[in-house]
Amino acid sequence: MNLTLDQSPCGSYWTGRFSAMASPCEVLLELKDRAQAQHLLQQVAEETWRIEKKFSRYRQDNLIHHINHSDGQPLEVDEETTLLLNYADQCFQLSDGLFDITAGVLRRIWSFQPGATPPDKNQVRECLKHIGWSKVTWEPPHLTLPPGMEIDLGGIGKEYAVDKAAQWLSQTTEASFVLNFGGDLYVNKPLSNGQPWHIAIDDPAATGVRQAGQITVAHGGIATSGDARRFLLHQGKRYGHILNPRTGYPIKNAPRSVTVIAGTCLEAGMLATFAMLQGADARQFLEAQEVPFWIIE
Amino acid sequence: MQLNNKSSVRAALAAATCTVLSHPLQAAQSSDGWDVKGGLLYYSEADRVTVIAPAISASKTTEAGDKLTFRAIYDSLTGASPNGATPTNTPQTFTSPSGQSTYTTPAGETPMRDLTDVRIAVGLDWEHELSRLVRNAMSGNFSAERDYLSLSVSDTLSKDYNNRMTTLTAGVGLTLDVVKPEGGAPVGLQLINAPATGELEDDNQKTAVDVLFGVTQILNRSTLTQLNYSHTTSSGYLTEPYKILSVIDPLTGETVPDPSPTAPANTYLYRYEKRPDTRNSDSLYWKLQHQLTEDVIYFSYRYFQDDWGIRSHTMDLKYRYELAGGRYLQPHYRQYQQTAADFYRHSLVDNMPLPEFASADLRLGEMTSNTVGLKFGMPLQDGEFSILVEKMTQTGESHPADAIGIQRNYDLYPTLDATIVQIGYRTVF
Repeated sequence: MNLTLDQSPCGSYWTGRFSAMASPCEVLLELKDRAQAQHLLQQVAEETWRIEKKFSRYRQDNLIHHINHSDGQPLEVDEETTLLLNYADQCFQLSDGLFDITAGVLRRIWSFQPGATPPDKNQVRECLKHIGWSKVTWEPPHLTLPPGMEIDLGGIGKEYAVDKAAQWLSQTTEASFVLNFGGDLYVNKPLSNGQPWHIAIDDPAATGVRQAGQITVAHGGIATSGDARRFLLHQGKRYGHILNPRTGYPIKNAPRSVTVIAGTCLEAGMLATFAMLQGADARQFLEAQEVPFWIIE
Repeated sequence: MQLNNKSSVRAALAAATCTVLSHPLQAAQSSDGWDVKGGLLYYSEADRVTVIAPAISASKTTEAGDKLTFRAIYDSLTGASPNGATPTNTPQTFTSPSGQSTYTTPAGETPMRDLTDVRIAVGLDWEHELSRLVRNAMSGNFSAERDYLSLSVSDTLSKDYNNRMTTLTAGVGLTLDVVKPEGGAPVGLQLINAPATGELEDDNQKTAVDVLFGVTQILNRSTLTQLNYSHTTSSGYLTEPYKILSVIDPLTGETVPDPSPTAPANTYLYRYEKRPDTRNSDSLYWKLQHQLTEDVIYFSYRYFQDDWGIRSHTMDLKYRYELAGGRYLQPHYRQYQQTAADFYRHSLVDNMPLPEFASADLRLGEMTSNTVGLKFGMPLQDGEFSILVEKMTQTGESHPADAIGIQRNYDLYPTLDATIVQIGYRTVF
């Protein structure tokens, strides 16, 4: 598990880097002291790796694996998982079933690799039998998942990790900081000179290569939903990668990407996701929320 | 999505987010590494005892959530301690318990016995989660010094209620000590130079049983309070084998010379102390911890009483003042007051009937102690460093009303001034 720490050219802040949740993670700390920056970076990374280990769908030694292999048996989950499942449940209710942590099995039939083809109707119908949070018995802290179903907290895990790390950092240091876990960000306060941080937004057509613009943020969580490179072209028809768990098909006319600023990264992320799920109505939805947002259509 | 009510989505989401983030932050230390704490304690009483004690502990949280802690401490003690005899107007010569050596205290001074000892103590704690809301903590301790061995075990169960806002705790502890005084355990209240008439024993045991009940309540986001009650029953050899009492003349207050024709010069009459062989004590402890915007106030009060007649009150106040960059300053004030044990007396009067129990151990006398201190802590790469400096002053009845004759000229409860310096370092391996 590698950590690197570099000082900015002007010497005013440190940039720590590590890798977690299949993303590059950055911690920007406005501090002079290297030892202190190193300590804070280490703790942030430890907390992030802890969350990754605990909630990753790709591990076989955690509770998520147990749940996904529980074969219809009820399982008691710990308090932190309870809170996350309650949150997922609320998001399911708020989105009228469009945000659904059981929708991950759709990935088995939908591939967005070049040359892939869309699934046929029977495949989709078969798959939908194993989707639907309403089929799950959730009586906190007891979860009973019908056989063949899976849950995936990937849609909230990274934002949750950003907010938990931000929570810990704000309790530990007075320094201004930015957390950037693969495009999910949190800024605690302006720099000591009173200036906001400048955050570059990726051009979704050239992630990491070209910037679509720059925003200034003094405080809050920032999250982006969407990835313009992930779509499927088949017989002249373009299929976006945001899937509707109720139909089993991609949401039509969804923007290429949506970026939202809100109080926390979790909130920003969920608003961006909800907006994508609105398809063509994304902009109208975000305007009604009265949050700063950027849409790339 | 509830399209007719879109703007409420954000408010509902913000509330849901707030709840999901309410899960308490995990301890900052990594579960993969060992959390190691090292410390050095320096405790020095003016003109009396100095203790230097390095200590180390290492704890690890296992995958299953169990926490294991190993502790070790090494004490080295040098200096002198009041032997219980009172000052008098001539020099006083004492024979060491083994009879091998003597020491002489000048006229007018409080007699002190030289001490050197080392103590090694090791301990092991195991905290285990029995179920989601129930934890068990077991602890074992062993310590050894030249004339004293101590072994103790304890078990504490805690259960959370009320959305983890309330924790109930119940615990039990057992201690077995073996005292092996130099030259054997003396017979209580016997004259120290007289041939022993009772049986001298090499191994003298004492046992103690503790029970504890506690409740911890989170009052709001920034306030926590705790109330503990504990009861201790001790039995066995509770006497201090090296403490003595002067036998004084009922009129002059002078220490009575040893009448034996073979007695060397400046030898006087003293008796060994004697304490009851049981002690029952009750203690009530209340703590309040409140976080201001950043700073934290800690307040605690303890009431203690036992069937030896000691009642005590301890008030403790700390304020953690946060500085920039994770550094902090923590001023500390503590006040302790106790009444004397029923059998505490500064001396015994010659030719009077002997009491059933008697001790001139200053720790059993009426006293007040005040401690002021300041702690500074700072984060380091992978750890924390702290330094604590404290001054303690303990005062008692220097001129008690029952002092006789020349005793009134002397300080029968000399003030104790102590300096405490503690350096701590914590890191994760």
